[in-house]
Amino acid sequence: MSLQIIINGLALGSVYALIATGFALIFNVLKFSNFAHGAMMTCGAFVGYFLAAGKGFGLFPTILISMIAGGVIGIGGEFIAFKRIIANHSSHIYFFVSSITLGTLLEGIVTLKVGANFYNYPRFFKVATINIGNIIISKSDAMMFCFSTMALLLLWYIIRYTKQGRAIRSVSFDRDTASLMGINVESVILITFFVSGALAGLAGVFLGINYTLYPTLGSLVVKGFIASVIGGLGSLPGAIIGAVFLGLLETLLIHTVGSGYAPALTFSVMLIFLLVRPQGISGSNIQEKA
Amino acid sequence: MAYMLTILTTTLITMISVVGVYLLTGMTGMFSLGQAAFMAIGAYASGLLVTKVGMAFPLACIVAVALSVGVGWLIGMPTVRLRRDYISLATLGFGEAVAALLNKATKLTGGASGFVGIPAITTFPMVLISTIVIIAMVAMFKNSKFGRQCSAIRCDELAAKAMGINVPWIKMVVFLFSVAVTAYSGCLYAFYTTYVDPSLFGWKKSADWVIMVFFGGSGSLTGSILATIILTGLPEALRFLSDYRSIFYAALVLLILNFKPSGLLNTWELTPRNIKSLFHRTDDVTGSMPTKKPMKN
Repeated sequence: MSLQIIINGLALGSVYALIATGFALIFNVLKFSNFAHGAMMTCGAFVGYFLAAGKGFGLFPTILISMIAGGVIGIGGEFIAFKRIIANHSSHIYFFVSSITLGTLLEGIVTLKVGANFYNYPRFFKVATINIGNIIISKSDAMMFCFSTMALLLLWYIIRYTKQGRAIRSVSFDRDTASLMGINVESVILITFFVSGALAGLAGVFLGINYTLYPTLGSLVVKGFIASVIGGLGSLPGAIIGAVFLGLLETLLIHTVGSGYAPALTFSVMLIFLLVRPQGISGSNIQEKA
Repeated sequence: MAYMLTILTTTLITMISVVGVYLLTGMTGMFSLGQAAFMAIGAYASGLLVTKVGMAFPLACIVAVALSVGVGWLIGMPTVRLRRDYISLATLGFGEAVAALLNKATKLTGGASGFVGIPAITTFPMVLISTIVIIAMVAMFKNSKFGRQCSAIRCDELAAKAMGINVPWIKMVVFLFSVAVTAYSGCLYAFYTTYVDPSLFGWKKSADWVIMVFFGGSGSLTGSILATIILTGLPEALRFLSDYRSIFYAALVLLILNFKPSGLLNTWELTPRNIKSLFHRTDDVTGSMPTKKPMKN
């Protein structure tokens, strides 16, 4: 494996890590897979596009506002699709169907606004690459890596050391007991959706910068799901490890067998993981309570 | 008239798949988001066998269904032992992998531009008979020993295990049954439209089927059938709203989920006994239709 592949893989893995972490955060707190995550990414990406291409915003304001927009969409989604289900203590089957439908709804709205066309972000860098020896680093990749790392470190700090973070952890441990201990569970859930949405928005902007934008961009979220499964569902460090692993693996596979067969092979890797180590790399498996 | 017949035929083909998903999701509580990929395998395999190998259509269907069941077994083996989220995520990844392979194998399948030249063999009577037979099979399955074990798993997996039900085995049986049904609907579909391409079988399609099952009432086969008619017919009826269609559809489903979470029919089934009690509703104090009736066999 050459250094070039490692660098490209790390850049790809950092975006996957953003997707997987946002997804895992919701799973961690509410114990369901949020299939609307992809559509939230698409919304964030298009908000960023209209700011950058339409209003001529620079890189930093675009990222910041897209993140906030993603967070607001996350909260809105919670209000539309999950609030009553959480309040009713319904079986988590309903979360599943509700999140898929929410995804369809958001995607429908995006399609209505932009049509089924393809869009490209404006170029943020005059010179697109940095050359060090014979290694080529794309500036957008480097930027992605730095921002993802910063965002994830910030998230880690919040969850580990702040009061709100402790509340999130206790709600994810046991929602009912947390509420007995005087934690406002509803606001914790809202915060979780905001953070998850913000991460989705950030990931959306990065995907938009690196790929072409189209209304079904959200299907790239599958990579985040696979990373989550490899790392261990619901575990945040697991999601990051899984994502980096997946990014490296995918870059290597695209380099060796081509982009067509790479998805099939990464899927096989996931199946092998499920067979051999179902709890994922991180090892924390969420057990169903009796 | 021919247009109506086309809509009717496609609705019935969708109904076969939805009934397959009902087996999995409605009866056992498992979610497969790669179900459409099994439809793709059925469609492509039977299409290839007929056009490239020159096999007869019925035989090709059988081989295609058997192939899908084989693949389903490989996918199911690691996943049915795990929590239900793993099943949906693993099948989702599987669906994407199948789509990618179909896109890549251009020589065999025509890649992204689609697989053309499948002869038009499927006719409306054939689809109608298949639908009736499959619905009857599923209804019988539901009332069999297997079906009751499935309901037990859906209600409480742990308790079912404690009662001595071999949970992974039952899950596997149901999964393979549903894969076979879906693959068969793929065969019918390919030989009806004479053209398939990988984008027809994305995970959104599987998700739509799950939504239909829930819309109709997650415990009711009749509900799934009714929901297919409503939700497949609705987009046609709303054609004049074309852009707003998916939004309207999603909003409708969200409303149902939020305000009537048990779906349209809950667990009510269309059986002679239930119809009779519908007309003489004297014992029914609540007065609402979807009350749970004890099932007697």
